[in-house]
Amino acid sequence: MIIVNYIVSVALIALGLFAVCTKKNLIKIVLGLGIIDYGINLMIVSIGYVPGGTAPVYTLSDFANFVSVSFVDPVPQALTLTSIVIGACVDALALSLVIMIYRKYKTVNADEVRRIRG
Amino acid sequence: MMEMFNNYEVVKHFPVIAVMGLFLFAFLIEIFGAKCKIIRNTLTLIATGGAFALILGLIPMVFGEGNVISYWMGDWKPVAGYAIGIGYEVDALSLFFGLLVSGTFFLSSIYSIKYMSRDHHLGHYYTLFLMLSGSVLGLVLTGDIFNMFVMIEIMTFASVALTAFRNKKGIALEAGFKYLILGSIGSSLVLAGIAVLYMQCHTLNMAQISSIIGGAGLNPSLVFAFALMFAGFGVKSYIVPFHTPAADAYMAAPSSISMVFSGMVNKAGVYALIRLTYTIFNAMDIPAVNILLVTLGAITMFIGVTMALAQHDFKRLLAFHSISQIGYVITAIGLGTALGLSSGLFHAMNHTMFKGLLFLCAGAVFYATGTTDLDKLGGLSKRMPKTTICFLIGAFSISGLPPFNGFASKWMIYQSVYAKGVESGNFAYIFATIVALVVSVMTLASFIKVTQAVFFGQLPDKLKDTKEVPFAMRLPMWIMSGLCILSGVFYRFVDVNVLYPVRNAAFGVKNYISSMLGGEAAAAASNVSSEEFFTLWDPKLWLILFAIVLLAVCIVVLLGDKTLGAVRKNKASEESDGKYATFFGGEKSTHSHVAGSDLFWGFKKDFKGYFKFMQGMHSGSVNDYALYVVVGTALIVATMFIFVL
Repeated sequence: MIIVNYIVSVALIALGLFAVCTKKNLIKIVLGLGIIDYGINLMIVSIGYVPGGTAPVYTLSDFANFVSVSFVDPVPQALTLTSIVIGACVDALALSLVIMIYRKYKTVNADEVRRIRG
Repeated sequence: MMEMFNNYEVVKHFPVIAVMGLFLFAFLIEIFGAKCKIIRNTLTLIATGGAFALILGLIPMVFGEGNVISYWMGDWKPVAGYAIGIGYEVDALSLFFGLLVSGTFFLSSIYSIKYMSRDHHLGHYYTLFLMLSGSVLGLVLTGDIFNMFVMIEIMTFASVALTAFRNKKGIALEAGFKYLILGSIGSSLVLAGIAVLYMQCHTLNMAQISSIIGGAGLNPSLVFAFALMFAGFGVKSYIVPFHTPAADAYMAAPSSISMVFSGMVNKAGVYALIRLTYTIFNAMDIPAVNILLVTLGAITMFIGVTMALAQHDFKRLLAFHSISQIGYVITAIGLGTALGLSSGLFHAMNHTMFKGLLFLCAGAVFYATGTTDLDKLGGLSKRMPKTTICFLIGAFSISGLPPFNGFASKWMIYQSVYAKGVESGNFAYIFATIVALVVSVMTLASFIKVTQAVFFGQLPDKLKDTKEVPFAMRLPMWIMSGLCILSGVFYRFVDVNVLYPVRNAAFGVKNYISSMLGGEAAAAASNVSSEEFFTLWDPKLWLILFAIVLLAVCIVVLLGDKTLGAVRKNKASEESDGKYATFFGGEKSTHSHVAGSDLFWGFKKDFKGYFKFMQGMHSGSVNDYALYVVVGTALIVATMFIFVL
């Protein structure tokens, strides 16, 4: 099953990059960035998955009785949380910049927001 | 007092206090300093000055005794040689960059106090400023790769917000937006690389990853992770083709921020590249990695300097020079030799000084006149003599004139690249040497143009009552000028006392791992020690090279196109451009039609096709820029898979 996750995550990243490179609307470009983030988050969560694993909570008695504990890797989950927070910050900052740009330029078309060039 | 700096148990807390302190003060300013100017300035100076002092306090321990400081957050020490917690690890390489970071931010905060005094909402400015300094300092001191990613993200946010700080101007917002989009793509590449790396190694500690890779060797997944992180850090250090947001951001940001962007934020990307290639993957023995870095570096320096020649804005021109100088650093560190690494680090240090100085001068000009457009400036040397002197020192340094520091480091770079070419018999390195020489000449040409356009020539009527900038702004400029001269004159001292330990730290991967995790983990890693100081001063090779170049030029001139002059004359008569009339029209003219900002119009005319193409490439469209990043990444991944596996 896990192979599906990798395929989907790569597809999401590719889709996001496609959106950033081709869409002319600045808000769609920001959405593209979000999609790249989701793809990477999915990949990170999938890394830590162990088939049949439980939540990463165990007691000392589990070890004392030599019960074989199989739990998913908690580190990637923590990483994903951090990454989601960062992604939310990127979206917020980017969208607020788009609003400001719209006020100054009266447009959100990427082809017209290019006063600095050459 | 001195005992304290030799006590490991005391000193090991310094790096983390410096980083945490900067973040803490960032929020203190937001709480207490939003209204009151004095509290705000005091808190900023305490934070940046304190961080600088703490980092200076590490020198006796790390440079003097050659220790590596390792600090585990919450005292989560490794169990059985396996890292659990987040670790800070400061070896000489980290400390070298840490010193540059904290010093640059300290000087910039002194400059900011006067320079930013006319802006509003300064509480936010200093909060973001301290966030930026804390994140860059954390990035160079950390020993954990995910912590590095988080620091990169904080750095990107703070940089974007500071770029767009003067949001009354549309271009500041536009530059900020482009910076954010490309910066986020870069960070995503780094994160994807970290994910793949974690899949293989199941740890995030850099020393541990290095030890695992050293033992097991490379497999396709690791190569893929390496390529992704390489591209991601490439975006952070703004090498071509990832350089486009840098030029916009350095131009639109306030000068005190352009100084730290150019001085340190792109250097953080260079640091991450050095850590990645030298320490984590230990990949500098692979010829393909060397060639890739040198090629990227050579392209970066050439495109940077030619784009700079075509600019009409003071700060945008400096930004392209900044990109060009990073090309030198990347070329030199890509060699993987002891001489190459020390010359690259030396140039990185010098670039921080002279480019910081030049941006401060640009800021001073903006403060005094309100513009950075080269076409509107001129003749300021009479009104601002002290700024002019500082600018000239910076310009001489970046152009590589002896005895300024740019000469020493560029001279080392030429030698190291040439030596590598002779050693390996690969013509690409010789070609890179020639590119480096040509770029240096073009840098000088470009700075002659700036000096003529801003400080000499005619003083426009509008600028008649320009005044010299206040002392608080000149002080950091004088300090930087002094450092430019000192490190140029005493290059030998710098080499022996600073570059030698740093270089050994970069090559001594084994030592890096063992001081973090204990001796067992280090056994797998290779250890390249490098003893020699730079001794390669053989001028004979150079004489031969110059003779070849001279001969080539003579042959082209003598046997080349005989109709060169005639063609130009015909063209001139067709042109209605006033510039040509001055030289070919035959009328008497009271003054030249060629403005100071257009001093090299002839050169630009001859290579019109190239300049037109390059300016078209820098189209300003964020889609195009994102496409360059994607294509660049794809090329890097493909190169790695074809040549490294």
